[in-house]
Formats: sequence, C-alpha cells, structure tokens
Amino acid sequence: MHPFSRRSLLKTSAAFAATLAAPALVRAAPKEIVIGGPAGAAKYFNSDLFPVLEKKLDCKVLYEGTNSLTNLQKMQADKASPKISVVIMDDPVMLPAAAEGLITKMSASAIPNLGKLVDDAVHQDGMWANYQKPWVGIAYSTRRMKTPPVSWAELWDAKYDSKIVVPSLSNTEGFWTLLAAAHLETGKPYKEAQYEIDAGFKKIKSLKANLLNVYTNAPQAINLLEQGEAWMIGGQFSAYTLIRKADGSPVDLAIPRDGGFSMPSGIAKVSGAPAGDLADAAIDFYLSPEAQSILAKTAFIAPTNQATPLPAGYPDPATLFAPDWAFIAKNRAGWVDRWSKEMT
Amino acid sequence: MTDAVLSAPIVKPAPDRERLAAFGFVAPSLLIIALVFVLPLALLLGVSVLDPKGGVTSAHYVRLLGTPYYLGVIWNSLRLGLLTTLIAFLVSYPAAFALARARGPLRSILLATLFLPLAASVIVKAFAWTILLRSDGLINAVLIAVGIIEDPIRMIFTQTALIVGAVNIFLPFMALPIYAVVAQLDGRYAEAAATLGASPLVVFFRVILPLTLPGIIAGVALVFSLSVSAYVVPTLLVGEKYPTLATTIAKAYLLAREPGFGAAAGVVLLAIAVIVVALSATLSREPK
Repeated sequence: MHPFSRRSLLKTSAAFAATLAAPALVRAAPKEIVIGGPAGAAKYFNSDLFPVLEKKLDCKVLYEGTNSLTNLQKMQADKASPKISVVIMDDPVMLPAAAEGLITKMSASAIPNLGKLVDDAVHQDGMWANYQKPWVGIAYSTRRMKTPPVSWAELWDAKYDSKIVVPSLSNTEGFWTLLAAAHLETGKPYKEAQYEIDAGFKKIKSLKANLLNVYTNAPQAINLLEQGEAWMIGGQFSAYTLIRKADGSPVDLAIPRDGGFSMPSGIAKVSGAPAGDLADAAIDFYLSPEAQSILAKTAFIAPTNQATPLPAGYPDPATLFAPDWAFIAKNRAGWVDRWSKEMT
Repeated sequence: MTDAVLSAPIVKPAPDRERLAAFGFVAPSLLIIALVFVLPLALLLGVSVLDPKGGVTSAHYVRLLGTPYYLGVIWNSLRLGLLTTLIAFLVSYPAAFALARARGPLRSILLATLFLPLAASVIVKAFAWTILLRSDGLINAVLIAVGIIEDPIRMIFTQTALIVGAVNIFLPFMALPIYAVVAQLDGRYAEAAATLGASPLVVFFRVILPLTLPGIIAGVALVFSLSVSAYVVPTLLVGEKYPTLATTIAKAYLLAREPGFGAAAGVVLLAIAVIVVALSATLSREPK
C-alpha cells in the first residue's frame, strides 16, 4: 500500500535527482517537515509565515490544515509511525494528546524561545506552548451601533430584541458566552464564575428573547453582522472579526470592561515523529518575535513572546482570561447536550 | 456476501444454463447494490446498537425515543416534511394542469421555470432566501413601499422562513411527476362523465383525481423524503432554533463525537422515509 501523495512524489523526485547528480547533491537532499494545524490558518501560514520559515531553516513545509479534533484522530491512528512532526491545536485538545503520549516534552535547550514567553504560556512542563493568543470579546455592527458595547450585560438589554447572535456551545468560542453569563449571574470574577455552570445556564436562558440565531458556522454569523441583521455577536474571536474589518466590513470587536478572554493556540512536538531537530527549530521559530510579529499583523492575534512588540490597539495578553480547560474538557459533552435541550 | 448472492432465490425454475446466464446478467448490479447500499446500511445499523466498549446496547434508541427533547426533534422533522409536502402539493397540482394546457412558447417558458431551478444548488437557493427575507431585503422593502407594514417584519430565522424556503426548493419534485401524469390524461374521460350527468365536482373527485393519483403519490414520496431529511435548508434558514433529525445526526457525528447516537438517529430517519415511500407504493396500486 503506497498511496500516492505530494510527499511520495517529492521523495521519489529527490531520490531521482540525487542519483543523477550524486554524490554532490546527496548531502543537499531537501529536508521537509509536516506541520498539522487549523484549516482556517492555512491561508496566512502559507502566504506569510512558511516562506520565511522555509528560507530560514532551508526546508520544505507540508501543511495539513484541518480542525484540532481531526488532527488528534490522525495522530492516534499514526501513533506507531507518526507523519506529522509539529502539531498546532487548541489547548483543550492538547490535554488528551498529552495524556495519550501523542506529544512529547520540549526542552528549553533545543527551543530557546520557550523561556521567553509570557506567564502560563508553557503547559505541563513543556508538553506544549502557546504561540499566540487570539482574544475574545463582543463583535458588533458599526452600522447599527453608534458606540461599542461596554459590558457583557448589554447583550441582555431588552432593546436588542432578536438582534443578538451567540455561538453554540458546540463551538470553542461558545464557552465564553456561558462563562460571561455565569459571571453576570453570580457577580463573581471569571476565575470563580467558570465553575458556576448552573448559574451560567440560568442566565443564558434569559437571553432567548434577544437571540436572532445561535450559530455553529462562524462565517454565517459574521455575514449577519455585516448585513446589519445582527447587531452583536457575543463571544467572538479577534481572528474572525478583525480580519473582516481589515477587508472593509462594517464590523468591529469590543472588549467589555468585565474583561476579555483568550483562546490560546498551542504548538507541540509529536512523539517519535520524523525530523526531530527540524521540529524543534520550527517550534522555536513559531515562538520567536519574528514569526509572532507576522501573525499579529496578518491574523490579529496577540503574541506570547515578551520580546514581540504589541501592535497598537491590541489588548495586553496578560489581562485576557484563560479558563480551566481540564475542567471544561471533562464536562463539556454534558453541557453541549444540556445546551441543545435548554436553548431551543 | 458472495454466499448470499449465490443463494438468492431465482423466481422461476429454468434449465441450468439459462439460470446461470440470468445470474450472470444480474450479478454485477447485485454486487454494486451490496457494496454501495446493503453494506453501508448494515454498518449503520451495527454502529447504532454498539456501545463504546464493544457490547450491544439499545441505549441510543432509548435516548432518542425516550426523551421529550428528541421526540420533539423527530416531530420537527415530520412537521417540516408534512407541511412542505402539503403546500408543495397545493401549489403544484393546479400548476401541472396549467402547464399541460399551455401551448407554444408559453409552455416552453413555464417548463423552463420549473426545470431551471433544479440547476441551482440547494445552498445557493437557501442563501438567496436569507437575502430576500432580511430586514432590509426585497420582501420587506416591497411591503413597506406598498404601505402594508411600517417597520420591517423579522422573517429570517423563523419557522415560516424555513417552510417557505423548503417549499420553494422541493417544489419541482412535486410538480414534475404530477405534470407527467396530467399531460397524458385523456380529456375524453371527463367529457364522458359530464355527458352522463356528473357535476364538475363529481368529475374532479371521481375521475380526474383518481387518474392523476400515481403522479401525486410519486411527488408526495419524493418531496416528503427529501424534506424530512433536509440538512442544508434548516441549517441555513432557521439555525439551531429548529433542531431536526438531520441536524441532530450532523451534530452527533461532527461535534459531539457520538457515532452510535448519530447512527440511531439515521436509522430512525430512514425508517420514517421508508414507511412513507412504502405507503405511497401501496396507495398507488389501489385504484386499479
């Protein structure tokens, strides 16, 4: 079984070239590395980040863009002979990957930038590290709203009857709306409110009259905002909204005074994967100010390396709240089920 | 699989060579049916009764058929199917007669309006409806301009929008089979009935309707099975507010990672569609 792929084609052509030009070219056979990550990032990774990475490390990057859970399944299936060397996934999905031994600890000696990140960006003694922090706030239509929303409580204001959209709890960003609801209901700070899920459900149910829609498909929700059909989307990523704003859409993202959230994206080295040294170098590149500056400008995400200059208007990553993912991962399936039953 | 194929009974006893030849003719199609239809169905059924530990369980069906929420989901699907079918029938039936009576260029134009929408994808049509139904969309703009309403009505993400969209998208599947039957209807039957003293109403209910029944039944079976299992239409036109079996299946597989539950919902959906098709097949035999 040898499925035909770009990789096998590259290998074959490399071997062919090496045979023709041997021995001079044998040493220079192209190095390549497979990086797995989110499909949504493929556009700016391929156009802005990988050309720099390839030039710097003199290698070829093959990017497998899909969602975090699919990458996790691929890694489970290929455990015996991994194909992906570096994996980029959301923190909640890193937890099972680490527990199953699919990713391996990174060392500060091989990856110097590990030691230069903001607090809490390195997890489980170096199992994975956050190379970026997209932040989460309230996206709003600049056509409909004269002033940006200042608090999560505004979503509940009766004057926004049928004008609010929220993400479904099935989506990663859905948890933020539930957490904001728990915070409003209990009056406790996020750190404590994140465990008050019953209060969160009680409050979010009272939002129903204001809901135009609950979405699972983010682009559809942003469309509604752009058209002015929806006025606000509660719990929205900077990477979704601000990219559209940069394209000229009448939308913007507000960080309520109660505080914004962050959804840190992790990068990790796959256990027993090929090209180990190259993987270390690629991870170090992702954690470097050079790469993070590129990502901050093209994808509107806050950098995690302290040496990276923060573009104007970006929130201080240290002020963004990141929840207890282990607690969420354990309970999430039950909440999604409860959400379906109580929110429809 | 081959054993099952080999042991399949052949209707009439025939000499060995003929029997073998007959089998040779049907073998490829039997194989294709087994591979693309029977095998996946068997897998679906299998997954629906499997628990994560590898044992057999009825838990997924109990959850689906024993919780009020999921019974509501099944009812939502049925309701969408029934309403779409009913409205599509009421619109298509007279339209089929108009189409059959039309002559010349008018007939070509009418036929084109029926066929052309089939060329556009369901997603495009569903999106088009979201544009039409928006607060500043065409429908609200016209209603305001004419003076029927003052402020725009919210139509997007309502059940009305869902039914309107579904009827629009599935209408040709009702109109075409009815038209096919009506076009071949012999007008002399109605004339004969009228000559014998039947009133127009009696002519319609005793002569025309029974004669067009095969077309109606085919249309009902098609539109019902399409709309009861529609996924794109409810997802785009009403969102999470109107959960159906199709959206529940998608959620179970894509988000909740519960293939067993998704498969059970798939089996229930399939059973509903099969019952309706079987019923309509039985009904279409009756008038003879």
